[in-house]
Amino acid sequence: MKAAVPYLFLLPALLFLALFALLPMGQIFYYSLLNYSAFGPSEFVGAGNFVRLVNDGNFWWTLANSFLLVLVTPVIMVVALSLALLVRREVRIGKPFRLLFFLPVITPIVIVGIIWRWIFAEEIGMLNYLLSLFSLPPVHWLTDYPTTTVSIMIVTLWRGAGYYMMVFLAGLAVIPREVEEASMIDGAGWLQQTVHITIPLLKPTLTLVFVVSSTAAIKMFTEVYTIIPGAPIANKTLVVYLYQQAFERFDFGYGSAIAVVLFLLTIAFSYANVRLMESR
Amino acid sequence: MKRAIIILTLSLAAAVAIGPFVWLISTSLKGSEELFAFPPTLIPHDLALENYTGVWNAVPFQTYLFNSVIVVLGTLVFNLTFCSLAGFALARYEFRGRAFVFLLVLAGIMIPKEVIIIPLYANVLKMQLADTLAGVVLPFAVDALGIFMMRQAFMAIPREIEEAATVDGVSPLRLWWNVMLPMTRPTLAALAIFTFIGTWGDFLWPLVVLKSREHFTLQVGLSYLIGAFSDNYRYVAAGAVLAAIPVLLVFLGMQKYFERGIFAGATK
Repeated sequence: MKAAVPYLFLLPALLFLALFALLPMGQIFYYSLLNYSAFGPSEFVGAGNFVRLVNDGNFWWTLANSFLLVLVTPVIMVVALSLALLVRREVRIGKPFRLLFFLPVITPIVIVGIIWRWIFAEEIGMLNYLLSLFSLPPVHWLTDYPTTTVSIMIVTLWRGAGYYMMVFLAGLAVIPREVEEASMIDGAGWLQQTVHITIPLLKPTLTLVFVVSSTAAIKMFTEVYTIIPGAPIANKTLVVYLYQQAFERFDFGYGSAIAVVLFLLTIAFSYANVRLMESR
Repeated sequence: MKRAIIILTLSLAAAVAIGPFVWLISTSLKGSEELFAFPPTLIPHDLALENYTGVWNAVPFQTYLFNSVIVVLGTLVFNLTFCSLAGFALARYEFRGRAFVFLLVLAGIMIPKEVIIIPLYANVLKMQLADTLAGVVLPFAVDALGIFMMRQAFMAIPREIEEAATVDGVSPLRLWWNVMLPMTRPTLAALAIFTFIGTWGDFLWPLVVLKSREHFTLQVGLSYLIGAFSDNYRYVAAGAVLAAIPVLLVFLGMQKYFERGIFAGATK
């Protein structure tokens, strides 16, 4: 009886985990080999969906856009780390700033999309107005490609900076004070100390932020869906394409093939990022 | 001097972080002519509260709100209960297969929901849960990361406390609920906030599952607003402000636990 206790405690969680995470993970590989519409019967087509993918221009375009979005990751990291270092340096003053920087993070993405769609509006938007103050021509934030991808990057930076700042602060908190103080005594300035002591010690956190932020870019959906709904599919992202194929065209088999690519990408990205940061 | 530069830099960054919200609120309070004024006005001439009543009456806003609350509460209760039960077992019991179960949990953390959304929906269809709130809640009733967080929290509790309680002959369920669970309160709170923010703001999954308007959550309802009132952005803005208020309140009220949760999430 007593031996059963841990199993009983685990049972509900494992049941949900198996049914709604592990089993679907297997299903996705199986579905990707089927010609499977949401309504009709399915038939086995082997690599058919993947052959179709290779010859599908929209697939390559959306894949390219998702990759393009990853380029914002280094920018986010620099901004977030700078904010974290500044906020940490002035602890008392930093406190309220931490709060403000975090507001975009907790805001639901649909609301973020609503906010930025209006800021990017081309005739009357705030951003083009600000540009006009510097005598710059208006930018077609919502219609010109690849400007639309830059718009999405701006939103990602705006929303992500505060989050990764907090992650960096968590990483900075475990660096022993003595290490930094010792370098101070050796006569190093703040900047020197930051570059030579603090940042190298922060490597695990840097890796973590790199992985989380770049895989988030690869999985981008809601921002694109709400900010540039009218753009052609080729200008959107991989997950938007997956959504379109599976839930607007009801082609579950083909959508699953896209999902398999997405999964392999997130794994490869995590692996490559970790290796990259370790070798440095 | 240096300090002044730091404060100036931080203030500029804060203006960028907050500016878009100010612009949203300003838009939500504008009259119809002023909406298209160029140059744009930041402070509306006469505050038009009618956008708020307008959007409240134009779409079933209360229904959306109610549905979102149900989804969030359901997900919260399931997650807190099941994750803490499982985390407790993994942290405090020796049993056959423990390492394997832990591996399954780690695998669960690694699976992005965007990847499995098609089979999730296929399964929800088979269970006759499509277009229901239960269909939104159940697939995310247990978050593998939550199990992990709770396991860490239980592992940090000193053994003596548990031993003292077992000497008194307490049943395992009581030990979990009365003795151990209260000691994990900070982690529990962090998990609750994370689940709340994540579920409240979730869009892709409810968008896939929910088809009829009376079942929409707030986020799906809002995205519908964008399409329906694309020529009346004041309504859309007012709706967005209304939908943002609950998250803001929870965040301000439970900020302390929030930072702790990020620590937990970031050091995994």
